[in-house]
Amino acid sequence: MVESAPQLTASESSILSSSNLPPIHSEFTMNDRNLLRGLFLLAISLAFGLTSLRYPIGQFSRAGPGLFPLMVSCLLLLIAVITILRSRFVEHLPLGFNIKNISIILASLCGFALISEFVNMIAGIVFMVFCASFAGTASYSVVRNLKIAAGLVAVALAFQKLLGFNLPLY
Amino acid sequence: MDVLHNLAFGFEHALTWQNLMFCAIGCTVGTLVGLLPGLGPLATISILLPLTYSIPTGGALIMLAGIYYGAQYGDSVSAITMKIPHASSIVACIDGYQMTLKGKTGLALFTAGVSSFIGGTVAIVVLSFFAPMLGEVAFLFGPADYCALMLVGFVCVSFVTTGSLVNGMAMCLIGVLLGQVGTDVNSGMQRFTMNLTFLSDGIGLVSIALGCFGIAEITKNLDAKDERTPFNGAIKLMPTWPEFKRIIPSALRGSVIGSFLGILPGGGPVIAQFAAYAIDKKVSKYKDEIGKGAIEGVAGQAAADEAAARTSFIPLMSIGIPENAVMALMMAAFIIKGIQPGPNMIAGHPDLFWGLVASMWVGNVFLITLNVPLVRYWLSVFKIPYSVLFPSILFFCCIGTYSVNNNLDDVFITAVFGLIGYIFLRLDLDPAPLMLGFILGPMLEENFRRALLLSRGSFTSFLTRPISGTLLAFIGLFIVWQIVAFMLETRKAKVAAAQPLPGAELGSQPE
Repeated sequence: MVESAPQLTASESSILSSSNLPPIHSEFTMNDRNLLRGLFLLAISLAFGLTSLRYPIGQFSRAGPGLFPLMVSCLLLLIAVITILRSRFVEHLPLGFNIKNISIILASLCGFALISEFVNMIAGIVFMVFCASFAGTASYSVVRNLKIAAGLVAVALAFQKLLGFNLPLY
Repeated sequence: MDVLHNLAFGFEHALTWQNLMFCAIGCTVGTLVGLLPGLGPLATISILLPLTYSIPTGGALIMLAGIYYGAQYGDSVSAITMKIPHASSIVACIDGYQMTLKGKTGLALFTAGVSSFIGGTVAIVVLSFFAPMLGEVAFLFGPADYCALMLVGFVCVSFVTTGSLVNGMAMCLIGVLLGQVGTDVNSGMQRFTMNLTFLSDGIGLVSIALGCFGIAEITKNLDAKDERTPFNGAIKLMPTWPEFKRIIPSALRGSVIGSFLGILPGGGPVIAQFAAYAIDKKVSKYKDEIGKGAIEGVAGQAAADEAAARTSFIPLMSIGIPENAVMALMMAAFIIKGIQPGPNMIAGHPDLFWGLVASMWVGNVFLITLNVPLVRYWLSVFKIPYSVLFPSILFFCCIGTYSVNNNLDDVFITAVFGLIGYIFLRLDLDPAPLMLGFILGPMLEENFRRALLLSRGSFTSFLTRPISGTLLAFIGLFIVWQIVAFMLETRKAKVAAAQPLPGAELGSQPE
């Protein structure tokens, strides 16, 4: 699931992020939040449901490890189908997917983890603050970022020294 | 008089210096997260979960509980002064903000504080009487009944938090499926792990919570680009005697409604506020003023909010089934500490149970001092710009995730769930039911398999047992009602001509 969900949505979002047009009221538009929700749920239910078929199902009286996830996936599949059907009856709402901010935030998280692993955590914190600030609304300010980073490093040091957190700070 | 004796015993535990300190920390942090955008009680409790490894059990639970009910206080302050509710104080925006517009901010804040105090106190009385009683009932529950009860919880939470049964139920089920990742307890088989070793213990609770609530929430706030204007008006706190007299009846009504609704599955602060507000609008002596900035409009809902936040502990501690997402996290905290919440907890760990109950009242006293006389200082928190705030929240999310296992890989999992959480948000799917599903999922499976084992594979036991039969019938009725409501709605929309309402399903909210 962790694999399949982002894959699906990455392809979806690439379609969507390019279209910042006002809501289209045609019958078959992909940029429809309700329809996409149904498709997303469908993908999740299939990912889990098909995988659980690989595990022993057993009988009801002696359930195998695959039975319960299979049943839950079937329920989810039902809900996905209902959602898709219902999206045909209600007004289409566009999906407001802003790929810029979420990418910046995720990049700063992953950068933090990588830098903390290979250099140290103080460098990771500084990177995170500088990278994440690109997503901010206010103008980019190096001085402000330095101040925030210094403050957060101080907090991290306090966590390590006073609360006994095991942080690889330096 | 047993209860009095037990409460005295509880205060003995709650009033040790150490526990007082934890209570104060919890309440302060709670108020702070209630005030600040982008970090609700759910995210905060999950950040602080790893911290609780190193502090004593009683103190840890007192602190986490303090964060939860403290956040309700803080939330109402930001709702009243700036019309920004973060977690639950949607109703406080109506009359509270109207009072601010009239220049009566101080009175509104005082009313909210005092009513919350009254609500909290009433709820604690209810808690100390009902929780042991309900614990006795819980002994009658078999596996089938537990399954049915959890399903009722899913249905109610779905409906209450998202307004749409279908969307909420989908999230619950996704949560249940995510809870399946890892090793199957009965057969020892690895499920959905994609041959990744770090998934064999399951997905970390903290990673999911921080991804879906922390990261996704930050990104949503960044997308919204809303500039907050901090409140700078004058605050005159002390009310006159006639004003004070108007607070009491509404607050008491709200407390009773809130205490009752808090116990029900799916209950909790949000629904309690709406109910209390609606009832005050019907029965209050000043009902014509409600909606235009009346004291009653603030008092009733604030009391109900606080009361429900506390009585929602009852199902967790007496039956062992959390009824909303925050309680599910609290349950995780109990389990981390090696305590299984449920009918045996009150008898087995009386010091913890009564200590927690008593600490709630101590917390009440802390909160009223923090939120009424000191409220001016809290309002300066709003002057922190979001561009400073969000890197800090991100930092706390990172540290929180890392310290669960001292493992940087967890940060990547959090990032993945941040993306998934953001997609959920954009698809109008509320992640709160997912949390409940995730924590109850393994329990649901366990009880489901046990029930089928006992009945030798027959599903009739779910219907013939009185408790589970009643609960399932309730779910059935609810689903039928939803379908009928949807059909009526679409027909009305068609009749009403070309332009149907956005999101025509019943009670759907714009967000």
